[in-house]
Order: sequence, then C-alpha cells, then structure tokens
Amino acid sequence: MNRSSKILRYVGKRLLQGIPIILAIVVMNFFLLNLAEGDAVDVLAGEAGSATPEYMAEMRKKFGLDQPLPVQLAVYLKNVVSLDLGYSFRHDMPVTKLIVDRFWPTLLLMVSTIILAVSFGILLGLYAAVNLNTWKDAMISVFALITYATPLFWVGLMMIIMFSIKNDWFPTSGMENIAAFYEGFDRVKDIAHHLVLPTITLSLFYLALYTRMMRASMLEQYGQDYVVTARAKGLTERRITFVHVLRNALLPVVTMAGVQVGALIGGSVIVESVFAWPGLGMLAFESLFARDLNLLLGIFLLSSALVVAVNLIVDVIYCFLDPRIEVT
Amino acid sequence: MKLPKFMNAVIMTAAITMGGSAVQAQQAGGSMVFLVQPEPPTMAGYVSTSGPIGLLGPKIYDGLFDYDNDGKMIPVLAESYDTSADGKTVTFNLRKGVTWHDGKPFTSADVQFTIMEVLKKVHPRGPNSFKEVSSIDTPDAHTAVFNLDNPAPYMMRALSSYESPMVPKHHLEGQDIKSAKLANNPVGTGPFKFTEWKKGQYIRLDKNDNYWKEGRPYIDRIVGRFVPDASTRAAAMEKGEVLYAAYNAIANIDAVRLEKRDDISVTTDGYSMINPMALLEFNTKEGPFTDAAVRRAISTAIDRQFMIDTIFFGYGNPATSALSSNFAATGLHAEMPHYPANGDVAAANKILDDAGYKKDSDGVRLKGTLDLIPYGEDWRRAGEYLKQAMGDIGIDLELRYEDVPTWLKRIYHNYDFQMNLNYFYQLSDPVLGVHRHYGTNMIRKGTHFVNSSRYSNADLDALLGAGMTEPDAEKRSAIYLDIQNILAEDMPVVNLFELEFLTVYNTKLKGAYGSAMGAYASFGDAYLD
Repeated sequence: MNRSSKILRYVGKRLLQGIPIILAIVVMNFFLLNLAEGDAVDVLAGEAGSATPEYMAEMRKKFGLDQPLPVQLAVYLKNVVSLDLGYSFRHDMPVTKLIVDRFWPTLLLMVSTIILAVSFGILLGLYAAVNLNTWKDAMISVFALITYATPLFWVGLMMIIMFSIKNDWFPTSGMENIAAFYEGFDRVKDIAHHLVLPTITLSLFYLALYTRMMRASMLEQYGQDYVVTARAKGLTERRITFVHVLRNALLPVVTMAGVQVGALIGGSVIVESVFAWPGLGMLAFESLFARDLNLLLGIFLLSSALVVAVNLIVDVIYCFLDPRIEVT
Repeated sequence: MKLPKFMNAVIMTAAITMGGSAVQAQQAGGSMVFLVQPEPPTMAGYVSTSGPIGLLGPKIYDGLFDYDNDGKMIPVLAESYDTSADGKTVTFNLRKGVTWHDGKPFTSADVQFTIMEVLKKVHPRGPNSFKEVSSIDTPDAHTAVFNLDNPAPYMMRALSSYESPMVPKHHLEGQDIKSAKLANNPVGTGPFKFTEWKKGQYIRLDKNDNYWKEGRPYIDRIVGRFVPDASTRAAAMEKGEVLYAAYNAIANIDAVRLEKRDDISVTTDGYSMINPMALLEFNTKEGPFTDAAVRRAISTAIDRQFMIDTIFFGYGNPATSALSSNFAATGLHAEMPHYPANGDVAAANKILDDAGYKKDSDGVRLKGTLDLIPYGEDWRRAGEYLKQAMGDIGIDLELRYEDVPTWLKRIYHNYDFQMNLNYFYQLSDPVLGVHRHYGTNMIRKGTHFVNSSRYSNADLDALLGAGMTEPDAEKRSAIYLDIQNILAEDMPVVNLFELEFLTVYNTKLKGAYGSAMGAYASFGDAYLD
C-alpha cells in the first residue's frame, strides 16, 4: 500500500471514530446542562417582569420543555443526525444561523491571533535561545512571564485606555464603526482597524506560551548529538541554528498551535467581552445564563467537531513534517 | 391598486416634512449610537417588558399616549379621550392619516386587536392593566370605545408605547402571537423603522420618512450597541462612540467620574413611571423571619442613607413606606414608622428584646440566609452591608449569590429562601406595580416578581380591591393610607430605598429627555447638535 492511500484510509478511520465521540459529547453535555436549576422559560419570564403561570406553562409546551428529559434528548439527537441543530427560542432563530453569524468574527480573531502569537513567539524564543543567559534572554523571559501572568481583562482595559482614549489611534470596541456603516474596501479597513487591539491582547497570552516553548525546544535540540556532529563538520553556528536546530525545534510549537486552534474556537470570553467582539465565546457565555440549551449544545457540538478535525489534521501534518512518524 | 395610494402618501408626507424643516431650529440628520445592555432576546415589546426591549421598542412602536415629566398625558396615536360619568366607558379619538411602516393604514381595528388579543392575553402586565376592559367597539376607523366592567383609573397611566405598544393586526392575526415573525421584524407606526439586527453587535433603526408628526424625527439613524463589559461601556462613552446610556448601563462609579467632563452629563430624570424600589422580601411562612416583630426590627436597624451614599454614590432616597414617595403627587404616599433613614440600632435591639429573642453567648439571636439579586456588584456590596448591620442586632446572616435562573426558581417557584434582596418597579400606579407584591391572589407559584413572601391578609386584600376601582382621588388616598399602615406593621417586605437609575449622555444629544418614559420613549424629538 502506498503512502497516500494509507493516509486516506487513516483519515477515514479517524472520521468514523469521531462520530461516536461527538455523539457521546452531545449526550454528556445534554445531561450536564440540564443539571442546572431553572430553564429558558424562567429566564424569559423573569426578564419580562411578571408572567402568569399559564403563560409560562404554554411557553414550556411550545419549547418542548414539558417533555421528560430522555424524550427531549431523543428529539435532539434525531435532529442532530439530520444535521438540524434545532431552534433557539430565546433568539427566535435557528441555531445554525446564529452560530454561523458568530463564527466568522471568531475565526477572524482566532486566525490573526494564532498568526501573531506563533510568529512572534517563534522569533522571540529563537532570539532568547541564541542569546542564552544574556540580558536579552532575561528580558524576553521576564516579558513572557509578565504577559503570561497578567489577567487578560486588565490588559484589554489598559489597551483601551492607552491606545483608544489617551491616544486616539484605535476604536474602543466592536467590530465595525456602526455610525458610519462602511461598504466594500472601506469596511475591510474598518474591521481591520477594530481587530488590532483585541488581537494584540489575546496574542500576548499565547505569545508568552510559544516563546517559552520555543526557547526550551531550541535548547533541547542544541544538546542533541546531531548538533555536535554538525559542529564537528565545521558548519557555522548560523547554519546550525537556522537549518538544523530551528526546523526540529519547530515541531512541538506547531503541534501546540494546532491543538490550540481547537481551543480558541470557543473564543476568549474575556477578550470578546472587553472589546465587545461578537464571537462564539460570548454567545456561549450568554446562552448559559439564559439557559438557551439548544444554542449551547449547538456551540459545543461545533467546537467538539472542530477539535476532532484539527487533531486529525495535526496528526496528518506530523507525518509530512517528520517522515519517521507513520500513520496506522 | 394599493401602490398609487401609498406613493401619494409618500409624496404628501415628504412635502410636509420638507415644509416643516424650513422653519425648524433643530438640526436634522446624523446617527445616534446608544448603549443597550444586555442584548435583548427579541424586539417583541408586546410580549415582554424586558428592559433592553423597552429601549428599542418605543422607537418603533407608538402608544396611544405618552406622559410628560409632570405626568400630563401627551397625545400620540390617540388625539384625545372621553370618560363617561360612571367611568365605565372610555372613548379614544385616534389620529388620522397614520400608516404602519409597511404602508398600511393604522385604524381602530388595530387598537381593538392590540388590547383584546395581544396585551390582555400575552403581555406580562397587560392582563392587570386592562383587567376591566370587557370589549372594545370600533364605530369607525378612528374611534375606539373601551367598555369597562368597573372604572379603572390606573389604566390611563399604562398607555405609553413601552407599557402598551400598538401593534399591526395584519401581521399577527390568525397566528400564534408569541412566535409570530413580527418579534424579530418589527413593524410599527413609530418614528424609526427597523433595518438590521447584527446579533452580538447592534440593532439599527432608520428614520421613518412617513412619520405622522410633521418634521420628525430629526435623527436619520438610531443604533443600539451591545457592549458586555461595563468598563468598556464607560470607555466608549468617554470617547464619544456612544452618546446615550440609560438604566445604569454606565455604572455609578464611572458615571460620577465621567460627569466631570464637559461633554458628558448625568441625569436621574426619566424614571418616574418606573419607580424602582430596592427591598427585602421575607419568607413569612417558614424560617427565622416569620415574626413581624423581627421584620420591623430589621427595617429599623438599617441605615438606608449609608447604603445610598456608599454603595450607590448618593443616588437614591431612603424609603419611608411601602409606597414610593413619587406617589405623593397623587396623594398615595405617607411616611410610616419603622423606616428611619439612618437606622436606629438601639430601637431595633429593643424590639427584639421585647419580642423575647435572647442573644446567645456569641451575641446571636437568629441565624438566616440572605439571597442577593444577581444583577451586579452593587447588590453584592449591599448584601455585605446588610450582613454587618444585621450582626449589630444579633441576626447572623449568610449571603447567597446565584445566577439568574437559579435565583428566580429559588425565590418564586421553590420558595426556598428566608430573606431576599431585590428591587421591584412600582410603576406609575400602585395597582400596576405594588399590588402584585402583597395580594393573596398574587401568591402564584412559578410567577416571578409577585408575592413571594406568601403574605396573606384578608383586610389588606379588601383594601387593595377598593383602591383599584375607587375613582375619587381623596377616597383613594384614604384607602392607601390604611394599606400603608397595615404594611408598616406586618412588613412582609421591607423597603430599603427608592433607586435612582442614571442616564449618562453626551451633551451633543438634545431633546431626548422630554418624556417621563425617559429611555423608554420614542426619541422622535431628539436631535444632534
């Protein structure tokens, strides 16, 4: 069997394995979420001030919340299997539409964060490792430690104060200038302008992670036998670092980045909240407090599916990066 | 057939609008971005009185009347009304030439449908407000005659676009009103038309060019923005990205800071129809607070002014009775005993001593749990103060803070509480906002914000019934004096203070403050300088 068909078979197998995993996650989430006191009707009626018991009973009937839990679960699973994520009664909208609307902003923030964090993380880690135990290394380590330990909401608020209020460089929050309603290329520019502060804030945390990881990974590789061999061959330090060590040191960082793509889908509730970024994390957060279980289950389903998919992709990438790793 | 007529209307209104704009001093145009917090579930103000819906609904829908800051009725969709001598027939003369945003004319049939089929059936408060309305006659397209079983003076205070929005019959008839498409695609007669809702970001409303009021609205576009984080909201206001924030969307702590700026002002106007009251609800059926003497002692011990000054930055007034002092204008408020503004610990201790509650070796007479309304940090601080104040009179409190659904279920469904910190809207008349808290008929398991104390007193019930239908102001005042006396003695609920909500606004925005409805008004007269 040649390599590519082997990989295809592997992907097929993993996808099949993913289905029961995702279903198990859905069932578990369903029961976990139902453990919480109160339901969507309680919240809606509570917000409305006062509602009659008849009104609330009628709403429960309409939402299907009067059915016993196993029946509700069966109905939900049946819908999921037919790729229907159900209806959010709170938003009076299909769950799929709600999720898709919020998915793009999440993706935008996530991708720009990953790119920024990974590239700067690699650079800083590399620089620190090359200048091991000098003041440069110390500075970078301290910087990484501080950004890693500082609460994100505080960083976000300081960013707003520094770069939005004291210096009028960026808007405080939101994804678009909604007094202007730009179209076309102006809109792209406007969104990019709004993206800067949340991306930097969210990146700082991951940046620290990648910096430290890259530094450690570089140092580990420097100690390997092949580096000694390279030195013995008389290669320059520069060539050893960039051609031999760097490539090998990248592996764990890339792996980590891949895994975190899945985690980032849920978004960072804190950054989305501080910058009023309309992402999935905030949607999930709000629907938890509104007991909008259909919507919440939909978001969980999407993120579990993505985690399964991204893990698979990372595994496949492995064997391209390092031919010694084989899929079975 | 319909189109030429509609086009005619457009051209005529456009001509009127242009004629109007030639003489007005106010500037037309511009976008007004304001804070809506939190994001509303829908825009169906006829189904839900939820706060954020109230911020947007009245810009889209009109009511029959609005109210100015002195409580005077301002004609909106009704130009005038007549009440028969016995108070049982109210005739509304409706404005002519009003069209819905989709171009269809607004008629008395819409009024009839709105009251009888929508508000009386699915609105949370409508069944109370329009309880006495048995039928509505529509002799012609611009007259609506309300037939009442009993006089209902309070009904005339519930006709605003927030409390009772007029909705289009042709979009709801024959449908399940609660799930009709109108909820997310509102069509009203108001000064602004719904354009777009970007979930998680904003709701955009555009100027209704066919608005019935000549030359209004001035503003081209109103955008309600959702910003979840309180500090970011303050920053957006500081930067001028948003121009208006009501209902404490900007926390008091930020408001007092922002007020120092030249371009930002703070007002407490616009909440007199809401009348929010902070209070403690007690479980009168079981637990440590079933004795009225204990509740009187608690009320006596609390330093209300201290809570207002330190936790709410001075915004608020100490409660002096079960009814808000805002009702004094209609003669429905009197100061009661056991409501000291600064707290009287010695007197409170004496009440408890006399009632036979002995302190144990730790100085504790009673132990209890205080639930806190999960609506933000201020209430947690208030709970911490109460714990300390109650400690001074030997009541050892434990605090409990849960999320909204859990809390609602605990207090109003399971009755699994002892003492609960909360606030209620007393609204524009005690019948609308206060009766629900005390009447035996308002002990309704599972209904929120009603009589959770399960307090039941036949004498009080009779007085509440009498207060509801008494048309004579003086007699009504006497009835409510008796009611307040009974409640000051039994204290199933201890009122703490009349909350003052804050509206923070950019001084660029003018003319948004003329209605007693405040942020729940239409903004048709608002303009940008």
